[in-house]
Amino acid sequence: MKVLEVQGVTKRFGGLVAVNQVSLEVNEGEIFSVIGPNGAGKTTFFNLLTGIYTPDEGRILFLGQDITGSTPDKAAKLGIGRTFQNIRLFGAMTVLENILVGRHIHTRVPYLHALLRTPLARKEERKALEEALSLLEYVGLLHRKDELARNLPYGEQRKLEIARALALKPKLLLLDEPAAGMNPKETEALQEFILKIRSERGLTILLIEHDMRLVMRISDRIAVLDYGSKIAEGKPEEVRKNPRVIEAYLGRGAAGGAA
Amino acid sequence: MSLLSLALSLVFLLLSFLAPNTLTAFLGLGALGVAAFARLEPRVRTLNLALLTLAFTLFLRSSGNTLGLIGLVGILVALTTLPRIPRGIRVALGLAILLLSVPIAGFANTFIFELGIQIGIFAAMSLGLNVVVGMAGLLDLGYAAFFAVGAYTWAIFGSPQAGKFLQGNFPLPGEYMYLFMLIAVVTTAITGLLIGLPALRLRGDYLAIVTLGLGEVVRILANNLDHPINITNGPQGITPVGRPPIDWFRSLMGALGVRLDETTDYQLFFYLLVLVMIGLVVLANVNLANSRFGRAWVAIREDEIAAQAMGIPLLPTKLIAFMTGAAFSGVMGVIYGAQRTFVSPESFTLLASITILAMVILGGMGSIPGAILGAAALTILNLDILKTFSEFVRTSLPWIPSQVDPAKYERLVFGLILILMMIYRPQGLIPEARHRAELEEEA
Repeated sequence: MKVLEVQGVTKRFGGLVAVNQVSLEVNEGEIFSVIGPNGAGKTTFFNLLTGIYTPDEGRILFLGQDITGSTPDKAAKLGIGRTFQNIRLFGAMTVLENILVGRHIHTRVPYLHALLRTPLARKEERKALEEALSLLEYVGLLHRKDELARNLPYGEQRKLEIARALALKPKLLLLDEPAAGMNPKETEALQEFILKIRSERGLTILLIEHDMRLVMRISDRIAVLDYGSKIAEGKPEEVRKNPRVIEAYLGRGAAGGAA
Repeated sequence: MSLLSLALSLVFLLLSFLAPNTLTAFLGLGALGVAAFARLEPRVRTLNLALLTLAFTLFLRSSGNTLGLIGLVGILVALTTLPRIPRGIRVALGLAILLLSVPIAGFANTFIFELGIQIGIFAAMSLGLNVVVGMAGLLDLGYAAFFAVGAYTWAIFGSPQAGKFLQGNFPLPGEYMYLFMLIAVVTTAITGLLIGLPALRLRGDYLAIVTLGLGEVVRILANNLDHPINITNGPQGITPVGRPPIDWFRSLMGALGVRLDETTDYQLFFYLLVLVMIGLVVLANVNLANSRFGRAWVAIREDEIAAQAMGIPLLPTKLIAFMTGAAFSGVMGVIYGAQRTFVSPESFTLLASITILAMVILGGMGSIPGAILGAAALTILNLDILKTFSEFVRTSLPWIPSQVDPAKYERLVFGLILILMMIYRPQGLIPEARHRAELEEEA
């Protein structure tokens, strides 16, 4: 089953075409990576999928439903969770509270019940707390639950951001450069973690990443963006050999093409 | 140290009997400072605070000097903030101060009731604004507009005013005030919706400017809606605004052995009513803060984009914060109008909005005890200290020209307080638990 279908999506900022006629399909349970040089339009592409930007052309279907031009909160409610390239945690909230905010859409408490703290509100709060704690245990951050998010070491902030997205119980998880700033050992742990959540939580994962070793090891398929256009797509070994990809990354000479 | 501190409190207790004058009050405040800040054993500190409560109460009873009230407020702050005082003692002493000491002082000097009521009204409002500014991070400079809508909601129907444009028998009987407290929740929430819908699409400074403008619109409407149809009676204001009959309250108090006269009966009634309202408002505040709504508000304050990515819709969530704050203010507006029996546009100027904002910032944004303390401090400063000080200047230092009368420099004093706070204690007097943790770890 196709989780995500992107059909000819274009986004312009003034004269700059940030994303140009990009189409791709992501199947259920896949780890699909989007790579490309800096400024290739990867993050803009993510922002189009999550409704931060509206595409100028094209359509985006999520689980067969047209979500073109919806808002970020609607995308989240439908089941798209995401992390950000430059971590965006709620710094002044504790680790536990960050996860509880992630559970926002699953905590069904009407306003008046919350105001009066009725038995219904208490029950829902207790449930939210239990689930948040078990999620923290699952990702190995339980011992940090009462610390402020901004005081966590960098690697754990990355992890908390993924955990917060998992609290949404998404069907599709968008990870924007999760390995940025990590050493090889941390990256390896991250790789294990991504594979673990995919198999245990039934997730489909769309990944933007610069660390090629991680991308090549983990991805089922890869799409390559350059100047906003998709220049290649396929299995890791296919993409690795593709001359246009090598050219985009290393320049013409390296690709062995004529000058 | 313990002995010295206890000795100071005992001397103050003794002097409260013998010479309850201004100097004694300062001695008492000093003793309170020692009891609060010196390194004392928790038991000694607790005993000390209890002694001081008794002493300030006696002092107020015999002198009616409002400095004693500052002492009581100080004890309340100490009880809420100092560590390692048994919970039962905190609650018992706090209730004793609110339910016994202040009324006893009020019978000695009714101005103390007046102060207590004003503090209460402003405390409840700063708790409402705390939801908007402290939790959700929405800078609202037109908050007094909701106070105005609440006050006018009851003033128009609780006085003959409604008869000028409606058929029927006005004023409505005073009991209707309770009903109108609920109606005011609805009318102010709707006003919050109307102001919030356009304004909350903006962020930061733009939001502040637009709320400031729309807040002024409400005041100017109140000022000008005396024609073509006379709804608000314009700048003259509306009077007399009805009060609920309190025969039941008089007989209840009589049964408790409290003798009330013409001036104190309504004062005590409104004082207790305001206390009940603060209790309810605090409860609502705590409940909301620990619910999905409170967390969503703080999340929006921290990072709008991340909050949206968690499925939190921005505009509706901000609107709920705005309407919640508005409703708190509206209820207090009804009480304000009824207590003063007079409502006019003058009470709802930009300065009023800024005063309430200053209370929230002074106390500590997002902090519930902070908002209450901020309201107490600024109300006492405004209604009592500045006035007493200018009285002192006029009588004792007549060579100082009347242009520099301190009471005229309320805004200057506010400004100075805010600047000093921003420099030396930006987290407020009693910071929100989150901020406190943050600053401790940075230190």
